[in-house]
Amino acid sequence: MLVKYRAILRMKYVEMFSYQLSTMVWMFGTMVQPLITMMVWMNIYPDQGDAFILYFISLIMVERLTSAWDVWEMDRQIREGTFSYQIVRPFHPVHWAIAENIVYKGLFLVVLVPCWIVLSIFLPSLKLQLSAGQWGLFLAALLLGAIIRFSVSFLFGILGFWMTKVTALYAMFETVSLFISGRIAPFSLLPPVVKQISIFLPYRYMIGFPLEILTGAYDTHTLLVGFTGAMIWSVLLIGAICWLWKAGLKKNQAVGG
Amino acid sequence: MGRYWRIFKEFFRTCLVEELEYRSEFIGNLLSSLFGIIVSILMVQIFFYQTDQLGGWAYADVLILLGIYNTLQGLIDFALRPNMPRLLLHIRMGTLDYVLTKPVDSMFFVSLRHLNFWRLIDVLLGMGLTVYGLVEKQWVPTFLDVVFFCVTILSALLIIYSLWMLLMTTAFWVIRMDDLSFLFTSFFETTRFPITMYKGWMRIALTYLLPAAFLTFTPASALLGMWDVQTTIMSGFVAIIFFWLARRFWKFALANYTSASS
Repeated sequence: MLVKYRAILRMKYVEMFSYQLSTMVWMFGTMVQPLITMMVWMNIYPDQGDAFILYFISLIMVERLTSAWDVWEMDRQIREGTFSYQIVRPFHPVHWAIAENIVYKGLFLVVLVPCWIVLSIFLPSLKLQLSAGQWGLFLAALLLGAIIRFSVSFLFGILGFWMTKVTALYAMFETVSLFISGRIAPFSLLPPVVKQISIFLPYRYMIGFPLEILTGAYDTHTLLVGFTGAMIWSVLLIGAICWLWKAGLKKNQAVGG
Repeated sequence: MGRYWRIFKEFFRTCLVEELEYRSEFIGNLLSSLFGIIVSILMVQIFFYQTDQLGGWAYADVLILLGIYNTLQGLIDFALRPNMPRLLLHIRMGTLDYVLTKPVDSMFFVSLRHLNFWRLIDVLLGMGLTVYGLVEKQWVPTFLDVVFFCVTILSALLIIYSLWMLLMTTAFWVIRMDDLSFLFTSFFETTRFPITMYKGWMRIALTYLLPAAFLTFTPASALLGMWDVQTTIMSGFVAIIFFWLARRFWKFALANYTSASS
């Protein structure tokens, strides 16, 4: 298993470098929307600028590190019939997807962490004072967030066996996340009802919860609710993937090829 | 000019005939457009939950601006976006030669040949939102406001077309096009809110370097009666400069183009 993983990780690593330019375009392009939102909030509360800078720059980091794109790839491959090659391989396609995620997110880290360090020289609000324990909590929340977002994306991808417009559906899912995952504003600025809803939906655990730990806006109760919620959603989604995958393979008729 | 208008009408007709083959797409497209505009309005409402002005603009004003944003976005998706991947294909397959030998201007043909009608729904929704904003504000633009609005919106359209063409022309050297259109979308996103919201060098960059201010802000200001002659002339001037640049760049690319066909 480990040997196999090493091999596909290396393959994906090489593959990544052939799409350097587009990776960069996507990485920097996705920053625009959070930055605009940051400007809006700094305009509304000019005296809290530092807090918003920390929140939204962290948001960009967390968003990149939990981002998921598998549904687009799977939709294309299922439509064109090339997904059949993946299915007949002896190693489950989900591992290829996971390996790809690890490689790309490693790249994001390598690019973004130095950016953060340079930025924090000019913007003192970005200097983080977290204890080792807090870092541990943050990383755990981040990992769970990445798992949940990846699972959702993969789940939508599997739905592609039945439907043709899954990407549109997934785009809708992502748009809703704008409001409930804490992307448009820290939870404290949203109407209280949004925060209540967000506890039961997966969105918050994808982005908002790791962010709350990183920016220090949490207490024991939030942590308890957050980790419980994130765990439950991870298990539910992984279970759903296993079940739907089997059903999907039966349904799959392999177009073209 | 008249000839090009006739040719455009012909493009319009053929694309419409083609699109009507897929009439069942209508409901899905209508829903996604409605969803899009509702999300934009909700976003503005979230901000106005905490404040009563954004860059000096009240809720109704921002809605008017958002309506113009949605309209322009719809027009881009209607006429410009569908053509980008096709140019790439033309270059790769060598079929651009056929375009070049046609007795019409190649830039015109390449940028407007394919139209996506469903996106006109966005245009209609955007216009509706602008009208709704005006009603909400209980503001009736004077004749002069409308004149200034028309001038600035025409400049905005020309600027958008030119920027898009500048980006599209890089297809001669770049291979992945969806990245480039994503770049444009990200830039266009900055015009969603009043430009007065941005501070310092950001504002200067978005006015002069990348003319975002002239896309939605000046037309919306004009409609709200906040026009001035100087800005309007400026917007026309910027439009002409960018159009000239796009034109030059296209000619330059063609001069360096060596066909891919045999």
